[in-house]
Amino acid sequence: MLDLHGYGPRLLEGAGVTLQLALLSLLLAVVLGLITASAKMSRNWFAHRIATLYTTVIRGVPDLVLMMLLFFGGQIGVNMITDWLYYQFDIDIFININEFIAGVVTIGLIFGAYMGETFRGAFMAVDNGQIEAGKAYGMSNSLVFRRVRFPQMMRHALPGLSNNWMVLLKTTALVSVIGLSDMVRVASEASKATREPFTFMIVVAIIYLLIASVSEWLFARLQKRYNIGYGEAD
Amino acid sequence: MAATPIPLEVRNIKKRFGDTEVLKGLSLQANKGDVITLIGASGSGKSTFLRCMNLLEQPDEGDLYVHGEEVRFKTTRRGREPADWKQVVQMRAKLSMVFQSFNLWAHMTLLENIIEAPIHVLGKPKKEAIEHARALLERVGLTARADAYPAQMSGGQQQRGAIARALAMDPEVMLFDEPTSALDPELVGDVLKVMHGLAEEGRTMVVVTHEMSFARDVSSQVIYLHEGMVEEAGPPEEMIGNPQSPRLQQFLAPKY
Amino acid sequence: MESLLTWLETQLADNSIFTLQTLSHYGAGLTTTVQLVFLSLIIGLIAAVPLAIGRGSRHAWIKWPIFAYTYVFRGTPLLIQLYLIYYGVVFVDGIQETWLWVILEDPFVPALIAFTLNTAAYTTEIFRGAIKSTSKGEIEAARAYGMSPRLTMRRIIIPSAFRRALPAYGNEVIFMLHASAIASVVTIMDLTGAARFVYARYYAPFEAFLFVAAIYLCLTFAILYFFRHLEKKLLAHLQPQTG
Repeated sequence: MLDLHGYGPRLLEGAGVTLQLALLSLLLAVVLGLITASAKMSRNWFAHRIATLYTTVIRGVPDLVLMMLLFFGGQIGVNMITDWLYYQFDIDIFININEFIAGVVTIGLIFGAYMGETFRGAFMAVDNGQIEAGKAYGMSNSLVFRRVRFPQMMRHALPGLSNNWMVLLKTTALVSVIGLSDMVRVASEASKATREPFTFMIVVAIIYLLIASVSEWLFARLQKRYNIGYGEAD
Repeated sequence: MAATPIPLEVRNIKKRFGDTEVLKGLSLQANKGDVITLIGASGSGKSTFLRCMNLLEQPDEGDLYVHGEEVRFKTTRRGREPADWKQVVQMRAKLSMVFQSFNLWAHMTLLENIIEAPIHVLGKPKKEAIEHARALLERVGLTARADAYPAQMSGGQQQRGAIARALAMDPEVMLFDEPTSALDPELVGDVLKVMHGLAEEGRTMVVVTHEMSFARDVSSQVIYLHEGMVEEAGPPEEMIGNPQSPRLQQFLAPKY
Repeated sequence: MESLLTWLETQLADNSIFTLQTLSHYGAGLTTTVQLVFLSLIIGLIAAVPLAIGRGSRHAWIKWPIFAYTYVFRGTPLLIQLYLIYYGVVFVDGIQETWLWVILEDPFVPALIAFTLNTAAYTTEIFRGAIKSTSKGEIEAARAYGMSPRLTMRRIIIPSAFRRALPAYGNEVIFMLHASAIASVVTIMDLTGAARFVYARYYAPFEAFLFVAAIYLCLTFAILYFFRHLEKKLLAHLQPQTG
């Protein structure tokens, strides 16, 4: 049998960290993505510019560099703000950025940019005639959004969403580099201690594949639900 | 016996898709210079029959002779298939097909489309192939479009280009699968004119079409198919001028 | 050259971080990153073509191993693949005494292997998709004109699939550039490695990482521009002519 040299429980814990991190970042990314998509489609020139800058920069820089910038730079930035608050207003607070929050914020920020593009495409894919039909029957803007646009948008957004989630899941491995004890970190420590890299890395790889396969299955079910009325095509 | 072999002969072709038998024993003989038109309602099996002639569909039964040579078949686990694919490749090179949706290769210019098979299948020298292609382009009235890509041409131009591509093979027999069905009405005329010209110069052609004027004016024989069987066949004057079977009469009756 | 250097030196004289020495670190890092990304992309691309064809094979013993390979390499983080190959090599008993160690001692080689295997898997699937989306009619026309399956693959399917794969492949190139940042984790002095060095030395995260981010951004734009240009040239045939 597989001998994990007593690292089993820690690996499992690490897997828990990975999953939590991934799900929380996904949540943040979806929220940021919706905001970005609306900003990009708004007539507000400033909002549009900011959103474009955000997506361009994020998609042009490696995840790891952004993560280090936020993690290493974030603490200094926060310290600078708290120092300033202390000297100006005599407010004494100390905020310590921990690795987990830095991880969630960075990954959320990165994938918010990708989600923004996904949602924008999905928004635009919904037939304008149906929106007009809703309005013509006296539905309010928010009602049209809730009852007509959103359900149809999800159908177009799901493939992109599922794709982004899969990439996000793999990106969480990077937090091990900034010191967070996710399963990759545990596995790499165990590999070095036991000199058996294959055992641990393969276990972690299998866990990733497992999570990916389960998500794939879930997304396929969701897609089926939102595809109602569109037959078997795409 | 005759000095020149019969260009194309098929005997008793049967084809089944699942449980439905779409071709129930069809035969056809195309002698040199014949223009045979296959007509019939959609679902009558006329396109499938044509596609069996160059084995784009595998007939479940029946014999096939191209230029007097019998195509050999064998039976495998998957069903009946040609015994020798090399023979099929050679035989296809003698029959060139013109498709309903043109099927020009989208990543090549029109000229490249035309010289592709002559160079790589027939092994013609490139220079010769290009010369021939230019002459064919002139013939179908597309000299100016030699370097255009298919997506940049109208449907009518694409189909005339596809005919030039078929001609470049110096085919024994040309097979046309509803060549004008995908075209806008105003573009049909140009394509039919080219086909008319081919018939006049004595090309052997088998044409699946809905154009009754073409069937009447150009063909030497008309075959009316109904549910995978020959309902009536004969020279065009009789078939279209004086149809015998009630089904054909109804098929030819004005629709409005 | 001499005067340029003295000019640079005076320009940089009043900042303590971007000295000639750190800039040369970044320069060396840029070279390493470009080498690593370029080599893995080229080898991966060459491997991906036969793999993509094999992926669509009728024979299960060709098709399934390739599928398993792409599934695993696309389904797990590149970092794991890098660790697996890097540590896998380092911890092989007695390897440090053999002649192989001369090549393998440098983490560049394991990193190159990991990156190549990774990009080959993604590229295989990109090509596979492009091959599958080849128009049925065009393949049929090739068959009808007497082309053998092999000739059809070589003359019709591959050239048109290559062109259609271009936009997706452009994304893969950018993805690889960004992914290469993790090479710094196994002590390679690539661009990110240089930034980490500067950060550690001066404790100046903003300067160190913002500067390197700007370099990556420029590289990304250069790749984007290159592929857009290539697409314009090679995908011209899909654009209907106006007028």
